[in-house]
Amino acid sequence: MTFESPIIEWAPLAPVLIVFAAAVLGIVIETADPKVWIRRRLQVALALVATLAAAATAALQWSVLDGDGTRVVVDRIICDRHSLIWMVMIAVFAALAILLFSSRVGGDDAFAPLAAAAPGSEEEREASEKGLAQTEVFPLALFSVGGMMLFTMVSDTLILFIVLELISLPLYVLVALSRRRRLLSQEAALKYFLMGAFASAVYLFGAALIYGGAFSTSFTIIDTAIVQYHGREALVLVGTVLALVGLLFKLGAVPFHAWTPDAYQGAPTPVTAFMAAATKAAAVAALIRFLYLAVHRFEWEIAPVLWTIAIATMLVGTVAAIVQTDIKRMLAYSSIAHGGFVLVAVTSFEREALSAAVFYMLAYGLATLGAFAVVGQVREVTKDGSLGAEATRLGQWAGLGRRSPWMATAMAVFLLSFAGIPLTAGFIGKYVAFKAAFDSGGWPLVVVAVLAAVVAVFFYVRVIVLMFLTPVPEDLKDAVEVTESTGPSLVVGITALATVLLGVVPSVVLDLASNAAILVP
Amino acid sequence: MVNIVNALVSPTPSPSVTPPEGFVPWEQTLRGDSLLLVAIKAVAILVFLLLSVLFAVWFERKVISRMQERIGPNIHGPFGLFQLVGDALKLLLKEDVSVTKRDRVLYIAAPLISVICAFLVFSVIPIGPAVRIPFTEDVTPLQLTDFPVAALFILACAAVGVYGIVLGGWASGSTYPLVGAVRSSAQIISYELAMGLSLVTVFMMSSSMYTQDIVAAQADLWFGVLLLPAFLLYIVAMVGETNRLPFDLPEAEGELVAGYMTEYSSIKFAWYFLAEYINMLNVSAVATTLFLGGWRAPWPLSAVSDGVLNTGYWPVLWFLAKVWLLMFFFVWVRGSLMRLRYDQFMRLGWKLLIPIGLGWVVLWGVARVLYVKDWLPSVKQVTVPAAIVLGLATVVVLFWPSKPGEEKTGRGRVKEIDATAGGFPVPPKPGEKLPPSPRSTRTVDARSQAKEKGDRDKG
Amino acid sequence: MTEHMNPYVPILVMIGVATALAVAGVVVSRFIGPHRYNKAKLSPYESGMEATPGAAGGGRVPIRYYLIAMTFIVFDIEIVFLYPWAIAYERLSLFGLVAILSFLALITVPFVYEWRRGGFDW
Repeated sequence: MTFESPIIEWAPLAPVLIVFAAAVLGIVIETADPKVWIRRRLQVALALVATLAAAATAALQWSVLDGDGTRVVVDRIICDRHSLIWMVMIAVFAALAILLFSSRVGGDDAFAPLAAAAPGSEEEREASEKGLAQTEVFPLALFSVGGMMLFTMVSDTLILFIVLELISLPLYVLVALSRRRRLLSQEAALKYFLMGAFASAVYLFGAALIYGGAFSTSFTIIDTAIVQYHGREALVLVGTVLALVGLLFKLGAVPFHAWTPDAYQGAPTPVTAFMAAATKAAAVAALIRFLYLAVHRFEWEIAPVLWTIAIATMLVGTVAAIVQTDIKRMLAYSSIAHGGFVLVAVTSFEREALSAAVFYMLAYGLATLGAFAVVGQVREVTKDGSLGAEATRLGQWAGLGRRSPWMATAMAVFLLSFAGIPLTAGFIGKYVAFKAAFDSGGWPLVVVAVLAAVVAVFFYVRVIVLMFLTPVPEDLKDAVEVTESTGPSLVVGITALATVLLGVVPSVVLDLASNAAILVP
Repeated sequence: MVNIVNALVSPTPSPSVTPPEGFVPWEQTLRGDSLLLVAIKAVAILVFLLLSVLFAVWFERKVISRMQERIGPNIHGPFGLFQLVGDALKLLLKEDVSVTKRDRVLYIAAPLISVICAFLVFSVIPIGPAVRIPFTEDVTPLQLTDFPVAALFILACAAVGVYGIVLGGWASGSTYPLVGAVRSSAQIISYELAMGLSLVTVFMMSSSMYTQDIVAAQADLWFGVLLLPAFLLYIVAMVGETNRLPFDLPEAEGELVAGYMTEYSSIKFAWYFLAEYINMLNVSAVATTLFLGGWRAPWPLSAVSDGVLNTGYWPVLWFLAKVWLLMFFFVWVRGSLMRLRYDQFMRLGWKLLIPIGLGWVVLWGVARVLYVKDWLPSVKQVTVPAAIVLGLATVVVLFWPSKPGEEKTGRGRVKEIDATAGGFPVPPKPGEKLPPSPRSTRTVDARSQAKEKGDRDKG
Repeated sequence: MTEHMNPYVPILVMIGVATALAVAGVVVSRFIGPHRYNKAKLSPYESGMEATPGAAGGGRVPIRYYLIAMTFIVFDIEIVFLYPWAIAYERLSLFGLVAILSFLALITVPFVYEWRRGGFDW
């Protein structure tokens, strides 16, 4: 018996490897355990450089790519234009999120100084006074980012599972690390973990059933097996539905959305921004690859399921967002609704959907990062005059336009983009997404989507009205303060500018996205 | 004389002894066993283990007595041999007390799990090669069974055996057993890692997990010699794994009464007791099989008339001799060493044994690939740097700078402590000393005594 | 001789024999041992003192044990990954070595991290 080593194309993996190498290096830095301020700077610099370098490398590969794509590991990991554009997007989102991670308000970052200390305990107070910092958040985030980038290239159910876990496990920890409202944060993490573990198990069960029917974990082979192995389609079909559950969970689609509001609300705001933008993008990328490469022959069978889920997601997300009184929870439900909107495009099984999903997630991700960056800046003022937790009650946002015109204006731009008002990126995103569905005959779905979008305008505009047309309540005059620290301000500026630019001159990115509308089996 | 280089370079180890006439490969004979024969073998192993344990108890008491200049059991029967029969019967006849707070099912199941797992290990240990059963024509190896993951099965049995301990301590519904159980399981799993690591290089050399293959691969040279560091690692780990002195912390009487067995009496206690002694036999048998050439005769004897001592029923003798040599080692260690403190014990396991085990695997893997690829011309060029690297690694591990602020104990600065912290007298720990007593200088008497002493020293 | 037995059957036989012996011991001891219970005998043993309330079933143990358990799982999996490599070592040759060395390196980094952060200090 001889052994032939598999041939691996390392070059297309470069962006992912850069991120992973940086993450490992981050742990090494933690191991060396220098002083807190050195550690922090090193970690921030490393994480920023790594994510930006990954984005640059992926972009470089786009420019030199010969043909449609490269098979990295046989037919199990494939680097094509579609995965490259997702990788660039995720890396850029990650870089922006890292800026938020590193920002400090009133000398404190968003993370617990000593995660192991019990909330409200003496140890926690001491750790806070000593200025300790849990700088492990940066390597953790990098591991997750690396996983997300790999997620977009995977064409194998088993590798997909491993990468799914790689993305999720650091996130479970990150969610639990909020500096303020520790109990809420820990509760959110536990909920997220339990639900996530359950979803992973369901996915794994689905993958096992698919393997049982198709005798392979490779997307390409599953695709042919569906046609070839008569009498086994049922097994593959049931497996497909179960596997979809796992992926839709990450996307936060109804009825697998229950974790989203709690996790988004409890997590430190930078982590919420990161999860809402990057994780969702990665989930859409993987969902597309799985649906379009492995099981597209089941279009007739699974389209009704996906339609139902898309409609339920849009409706639940929109309706529930209306009644929220907490800005983070409202944005969480709005992100659920956006998951539904992007599903509208994905369920069309058309080539157009590939570019539409890319553009939609870009528009949504930029606005989300910006919106949460603003949320992180609106703070309560404690009795002794220092800055406290984030002021997330909607009432506390009244008259924000007077407190900080720039932040409020940027927030308005993001909300308008969420609502899909023309001249913002969100409008173009919704247009291309709905068009893809409409062209493939999915007009009932589009009707529901448009209705949901119209309803959604209500609660977005309500926040804008609250910020600009409502005076600051007397009793809250000194109880709320808007800080304008450098990192988040930078993120807000970049994302607001990008949102407007994408809305006014979308053609450049649209061209890129349509170039990327290709999947190499 | 055996050539180490040959053993290193030859890609698949081959038995140097040519098989005698009519030799049947062991796999075939084993597969040919009838169900009856299998049952007989299983019962035989059971009886062998029970008798061995009885003997081991006597053996331990006798040897430890001699080491402590006592006589030990000597009243009942020749050399006090009947003492152990009485001991065994006594356990059976004792009152079976079950605590009221127990978990009904698990309380009984736990000792059963322990003892059954302990019995299972011997089913894959090869006690000898294929032999003809007396008065019949059947040929069968002296082994219950062997399969592609036999060595892994041994580790699996050891791991499942831990459940017996954890569940027993938990199901007792009492504080001492609970603490004893978690301690014990933490200890066993910690040393299981070191044990598992020590076996990696063995599998590299044997390319198989069939226990008979592993024995066959040692025809030229015992792995205990070739892979000496792994063997030493295994020896330490096996003592830790069986909860024996100096690592018998789960039963540290001064702290935990009897650990996880505190609430057990009569036969259930006997099963735990039995499991502990069978486990000693198990790890000794595994060490014999994996490192000491199994049933093969030791070197000068193996050369006698073309390896005749490796055939027939002779190997049983060698096997038993090796196992009981290791059992003697167990007793010897118990007679010589003191019990470690728990923190010392964990430090030894995690900070010394595991890094050394990992380092050894890496070293051996790299060195052997270089040899097989013929990139290194001579033994010295690998063994010498290897020894240096290993030595350096050991030194680094031993003298790894501890973090600032961490309390130095043993060597280094001697700390003075507050002698009456919290209003109670506090004794000094190692590396600490009491402040000078305020009374030693205050009284006239003490001062004059000190002065006198000083004068005497000067004079 | 012609009919080959599954090599795992003897294991089942052994489990059967060992279970029979173990259960028989428990049963026999129930009948031949004395039964003279009293309250003190049946209460949890705690050096003659009143037993700790709440220890039964849900008794708490220090968090360190959980830490050890988690670390154990990581390393146990690592070692179990090493075994197939060790068995196929000759065939995998240099490729296998490089693969396993990078795997070991990746495990070593968190190992050192945990060490430095006091994970192994008792």
